[in-house]
Amino acid sequence: MGKHHQNLLNNLEELRKSAGLTQQDLSESAEVSRKSINAIENGIYVPSTVLALKIAKTLRCKVEDIFKLPK
Amino acid sequence: MMNYFKRFLIVFICGIVQILFAAYSALVLCGVSIDWHINNNIFMFIPGILIFASSGILTASYYFGDKKNNNILYDEYTALRYYKIAAAGYALNGIGIFILFSIQDWSNWSFQNANNMIYQIAAFAWLTFGLLLTIFSIGDYKEYKNG
Repeated sequence: MGKHHQNLLNNLEELRKSAGLTQQDLSESAEVSRKSINAIENGIYVPSTVLALKIAKTLRCKVEDIFKLPK
Repeated sequence: MMNYFKRFLIVFICGIVQILFAAYSALVLCGVSIDWHINNNIFMFIPGILIFASSGILTASYYFGDKKNNNILYDEYTALRYYKIAAAGYALNGIGIFILFSIQDWSNWSFQNANNMIYQIAAFAWLTFGLLLTIFSIGDYKEYKNG
């Protein structure tokens, strides 16, 4: 797990790197800015459902694999 | 085609002009004498015209620009920052206008006082939104370059 938002834990950076993608690659595929991906990875920003699904689709995993609610 | 740098320039110029006008009207209100004077008719309208023109350019680029480019330029993270800036601006304006109304001498009201109050409100609104726009534009561009 990377840096987290207080309301959402995320594993995006690890999954992105294991998929061999840069932030730029992922942002182009998910149709957002690179800084949005960076903000999500660093726990600054919680993405919308649509964006979370687009990211999961690009990384070929489930949304739950990337994002988790804190216990 | 719109890009981060053009957007930075548009928003930054709007912000800086508003700050300059706010500073000018604050100096005039405080009775500080400066060498140059702006014609009042133009004085009141320049920041507004800039805001209208800039909003028009940004709106046109959003609706008629390249869709792929717009998905990046106007994504949800940027939208959230705009909302936060606007919310902060409206809150500060509300407090400021309340204070400006509170400090007026209503028992000795005149057209001159009313005129001064309009300048005070304009100066405060310009200063608030000018600062917020300038901070936003610099932060947005810095994030694009480094963030």
